[in-house]
Amino acid sequence: MPMRFAAWKNQLTGYAFISPFLLGFLIFTAFPIAASLYLSFTDYDLFTTPSWVGFEQYERMFTGDPKFWRSLRVTFLYVFVGVPLRLTFALLIALLLNRASRAVGLYRTVYYLPSIIGGSVAVSIMWRNLYGDEGIINLALNLIGLESVRWFADPAAALWMLITLSVWQFGSSMLIFLAGLKNIPPSLYEAASVDGANPLQRFFRITMPLLTPVILFNTIMQTIAAFMTFIPAYIISKGEGGPLDGTLLYSLYLFRQAFVFYDMGYASAMAWILLLIVALLTALVFATSKYWVFYETKED
Amino acid sequence: MLLLTVLLTLALAACGGGGGNDGGSGGNGGNAQSSEGGSSGNAPGNSAGSSDSGAKDPEPVTLRMAWWGSQPRHDYTLQVIEMYQQKYPHVKIEPEYANFDDYWKKLAPQAAANDLPDIIQMDISYLSQYGGKGQLEDLTPYLGTIINTDHISENAISGGKLGDQLYGFNIGVNTIQFQYDPELLKKLGIEKPDENWTWDDYYALAGKAKEAGLYFDSGFRPEVFFGYYLRTKGQHLYSPDGTSLGYDDDQLFIDFFAPLAKLVADGDTPTPDVKAQIKGLEDDLLVKGQQVGVWQWTNQFVGLQQVANRPLEMAHMPGPNREQGLYLKPSMYFSISKNSKHKEEAAKFIDFWVNDIEANKLIKGDRGVPVNSQVIEAVKPTLDPALIKVFDYVAWAQENSSPMDPPDPNGAAEIIALFKEITEAMDFGKLSPEDAAKRFREEANAILARNK
Repeated sequence: MPMRFAAWKNQLTGYAFISPFLLGFLIFTAFPIAASLYLSFTDYDLFTTPSWVGFEQYERMFTGDPKFWRSLRVTFLYVFVGVPLRLTFALLIALLLNRASRAVGLYRTVYYLPSIIGGSVAVSIMWRNLYGDEGIINLALNLIGLESVRWFADPAAALWMLITLSVWQFGSSMLIFLAGLKNIPPSLYEAASVDGANPLQRFFRITMPLLTPVILFNTIMQTIAAFMTFIPAYIISKGEGGPLDGTLLYSLYLFRQAFVFYDMGYASAMAWILLLIVALLTALVFATSKYWVFYETKED
Repeated sequence: MLLLTVLLTLALAACGGGGGNDGGSGGNGGNAQSSEGGSSGNAPGNSAGSSDSGAKDPEPVTLRMAWWGSQPRHDYTLQVIEMYQQKYPHVKIEPEYANFDDYWKKLAPQAAANDLPDIIQMDISYLSQYGGKGQLEDLTPYLGTIINTDHISENAISGGKLGDQLYGFNIGVNTIQFQYDPELLKKLGIEKPDENWTWDDYYALAGKAKEAGLYFDSGFRPEVFFGYYLRTKGQHLYSPDGTSLGYDDDQLFIDFFAPLAKLVADGDTPTPDVKAQIKGLEDDLLVKGQQVGVWQWTNQFVGLQQVANRPLEMAHMPGPNREQGLYLKPSMYFSISKNSKHKEEAAKFIDFWVNDIEANKLIKGDRGVPVNSQVIEAVKPTLDPALIKVFDYVAWAQENSSPMDPPDPNGAAEIIALFKEITEAMDFGKLSPEDAAKRFREEANAILARNK
């Protein structure tokens, strides 16, 4: 059976080639996932061996922990206000940059910069200072005759610090939008112009429909990323989620349960609930997509 | 499905990554977070003596040692380690240090991996957590054999006990007080607080701060000072078995916190958002000359004065019943981990740390006033005036205080966070002291009930 052997050997070679990934995946991804599922049904404080408690952690989350609900509320606000704003902003800038201009390459780089450095600790610290009582934001407000806002005193205001930071990091969605815009055949616009369509009509009748697959992609990716936002909230609130839990994003609360209160069982359970929430939302977006996403290649 | 996998990976990574990332953020202004604060005089030098080599054991040993603190502490601790390694060439000590917040985030996973450092700087609010769960070695057998306790009082040692087990060796003594700038206090019309001032005197005095364009203080760390207040009333924050709160009457909570919330509302002490914007000791309100004083531990006095760079004074805690409320507390301990393979060598280092005079000339009072009376005598003449004040104050407190409560129960970290959350809501005027008292009792008891 020389053929068999050759085929087998061939396969083995293939597995050997992907083994670095495969091993990494099994050890650093699959195993931790399984372990966290197990831990979510235990009481585990890192010191003693985990003890099985069934659904107790989940029960406590839903019935005995008002902070959990507060952090969910803050996170949903953050996601549902922040993501649309960010995408709108990204699309606007992409439209601007889609025009032929000599300096467009430079602009693209400049606008992408915040996303490269965006998630970092340094930016979050800068953000803190911008919003300080004597920071530049309040200075600007005063200049145009408005009262200073005490950003660190009001939970709603504090969340806006996080939201504006996320909007500012629009670069990656912008690039994807830009690629999508480039993909729209110019002939469509030409034809529309000939038919007398004005720019607004061209945007809503041609650009938007043809961009819907990209919008779908961006929406899903950004929503997932937004649910997992951690660093800005951690830095801006000095790790505590204040004021009055105003910046207590879900991931931050999860982190506090795990590494401040040493409650790994509860934190694991929280991670799985977050997974469920995001999975449901993603499924929902996908389910609705057939009503609003238009695929050019599909004939119907 | 792929998305889900990615998501989950990232969700998990967020935990792991967070631990690493916060190194950059850390360093909450010393007085805000760490239960004992940090930074003290760091004069290098005088590492004289220490020529005898007790090295009969040539077998090389590597010890890992972990502590929290700020830069000056890291500096002199490394010098002491260097000194020790010269004296005992077969020992090599690997340091692991961080700021207070990050320290505990690092230590817990090490405990889970059975990989704790041999020598661990331990805090009173974590002693039950680590000691009670079998992570720490009982030090009793080492007393008098390896760790010389001839000049250390029984009282000082027992501060590290959990039941009959000694899980941490007290390496410095602390107490609470009011530290203030006398020049700023004069603006409120008095030279210094009366020896026997009461809470009412305090409210009256602090109430003048706004008029003078100042803040009076930065508030009270509730778990410490409400604890003190309860003791002056013959009550305790935690029940003896640590499964519930120790006081029954919510009126005590209201009596303590309501006047403080009023001071915030009146603008005599800063609101939480003002405090949240303080980045470090350097832009502390007192340091900037905008605040009269601060309530904190004695070992934090020198660091504060150093950064403020002007003479500061100390005043007693307000009464009545101060003597009943005041206590000496081990500012920190050294513990030996259960998984250490060189427990005796670790104990030898602790012995060196608490008993060696030359070493303590470097350590000074940064980790609290030394527990060894001979060391105090020998070191004191070499100290600068601010530190001598601290030593004297602790000596005074020795005679004018009562034994401290047992170490905080499991879940203390959560109680502290809860305190912070609730007092913040009160200070923002979003929660009445009455509701706060009720909510604190409910949630705190729920946390402590898990110890049953």
